[in-house]
Amino acid sequence: MPASLPRPPFDPELEAVLAALADQIPPTLTADMIPDMRMSSPAEVTDETLEADGLTRHDVTIPGYLGDEITVSVIAREDHRGLGPGVYHTHGGGMVAGNRFSGLSQALPWVVEHDAVLVTVDYRLAPEHPDPYPVEDCYAGLLWTVEHARDLGMDPDRLIIAGQSAGGGIAAGVTLLARDRRGPRLAGQVLIYPMLDDRDRTVSVAQFEGVGVWDRGSNRMGWTALLGERRGTDDVSIYAAPARATDLTGLPPAFIDCGSAEVFRDEDVAYATALWHAGVQAELHIWPGGFHGFDLTAPHTALAHAMTAARNAWVARTLGS
Amino acid sequence: MHQLVGRLNSLDPQAGETLRIVSYFDVLITRGAGLDGLLRGAAVLSGTVAGAQIRGRVTRRDPDGHPVTGHAAGRRHGSRRSHADWVVWLERDGEPGPDDEMIVERLALGVELLDARRSPERGIDAVVDRTRTVAERTALLAERRIDPAARVRVLATPADAPEIGEAPSAIVPTRYGLLRATLDLAGTVRRPPEPVGFGTRVRADRAPESWEAAVVALRLTDASTPAVDAADLGAMLLLAQTYDPEHPHEDVRVLARLDQRSADVLRTLVEADSVRSAAAELGMHHSTVQARHEALTHTLGYDPRSTVGRMRYIAAALLLRLTDPATAARPGHA
Repeated sequence: MPASLPRPPFDPELEAVLAALADQIPPTLTADMIPDMRMSSPAEVTDETLEADGLTRHDVTIPGYLGDEITVSVIAREDHRGLGPGVYHTHGGGMVAGNRFSGLSQALPWVVEHDAVLVTVDYRLAPEHPDPYPVEDCYAGLLWTVEHARDLGMDPDRLIIAGQSAGGGIAAGVTLLARDRRGPRLAGQVLIYPMLDDRDRTVSVAQFEGVGVWDRGSNRMGWTALLGERRGTDDVSIYAAPARATDLTGLPPAFIDCGSAEVFRDEDVAYATALWHAGVQAELHIWPGGFHGFDLTAPHTALAHAMTAARNAWVARTLGS
Repeated sequence: MHQLVGRLNSLDPQAGETLRIVSYFDVLITRGAGLDGLLRGAAVLSGTVAGAQIRGRVTRRDPDGHPVTGHAAGRRHGSRRSHADWVVWLERDGEPGPDDEMIVERLALGVELLDARRSPERGIDAVVDRTRTVAERTALLAERRIDPAARVRVLATPADAPEIGEAPSAIVPTRYGLLRATLDLAGTVRRPPEPVGFGTRVRADRAPESWEAAVVALRLTDASTPAVDAADLGAMLLLAQTYDPEHPHEDVRVLARLDQRSADVLRTLVEADSVRSAAAELGMHHSTVQARHEALTHTLGYDPRSTVGRMRYIAAALLLRLTDPATAARPGHA
């Protein structure tokens, strides 16, 4: 093991969670653990929890990349009438795991609070379906959402895209695709600790190797599943790894948040900076001592409360206007 | 990543729940988390509202970590601890959860420590804290009317052990988790609960040295030796005190990797007068023990029956007991 770099400590409450869950959170996930990752994705959102929140869901089969069938769920308030704002959700899971309900607890309060209509997409996963399947499936889902917006009770001019982790990276990629293909005009992009850079070269990547949640080794595994031998080479598109984009002009306003104690910190800060340089509005929060996905793993902590409140406030300003 | 992780409050209550609770609170306390963090922890681990009243001020948190101000969701459960200045509890209707008692106990420890740190008349945790200046410690001793030159020793007992009579004590975070430090002023402490580690006798203003020795001594206790006095360790104490359990010496790692039978054979080989008497004691054939001796010499990288080899073994065996088994089992650094 190399001498470890100094790194920001974990927030005390979050470190307590890591200690208590030490046997359940291996810092490094390897390719042979992908089946377990898929199996153990907990059903955070079920029809029962939706009903308790006064929400309804219906599933639709739509054309994905190359016209193949994929599934989306449409979620709205039971009492929804007329046109509300829209949320298009791309889930996390390191490009290799998760489903359209993963991490949805972050976005459902927006449906409840702002009477939004949410579409969440089951894109196909790497390594069975490598790049460009994930981002192209998600783009196809966005096109379908906008085409059917009025039928769904959604105002297409008030549609934001949101995703966490790998889904945050995909959300950024879909936003770039929408710009470059003169597709739908999004009202905002919510990039929750997004996975943006396959090049494995930031300080934060080196700081979190063998420690924390979704460490450097896990990240290499995820990108390798998506890109294969192209990982880290010149043969990677900006839609797969948005950190590679050199022109971010003309993008919708962005919200980006991340922990200071995770691999994505530096690439997320860099993306926000690049957006500002390109004249795009962006709000950036780096939460001190946060490990990857801490608001989902440890929602009871003070830091998770603060992160969630800041994110929800941005969404309220963006959708509520 | 997060999809792998169950929520804390929906874990399998069977496996390792006690360890989970202890680990959670140990980190909170060691890292100096405040009352809100302690209460949020108790609430999420128990799945119900946790509360505290400290000098009349009530704070309550629900399992989502949010403040609770309304009427109690359930009765304050029997699992509450009362001390002079504060009370902590869980609120639950019906039967208490299987871990309620332990959760309240750790919450109480945390609040006790917090209260001691923040009260103007602080507990003795500062007196045994090496990171404080001598001047600071002297001032704290003076507040307690203890002469800085007085001969004292510090006792280490587990954090959940009872206080020892009227002797001043405090719960102190250490590298081995939370322990109770008790200041023994000239023989005022009688019959401490076991296990117990006795520190060296020092001037009161050098109490941190005695405390560190007491922690080592407590670590060396076992079922057959439930009380260890650091003074009995002689010069070995110096070795133990300079040891970093996070980075075990290779000799320690090698011992940690031995299976129980090999470890028994090795200990007997070191202690016996001859290989023949070792064989007799182990009930093994002489040639078998001879072969084990050679194999162990190869594994260890030294002959445990040579004079230097015995020294290395005894030192490594001592240090192994100061080491977390998981750390010792990890491959060493190059």
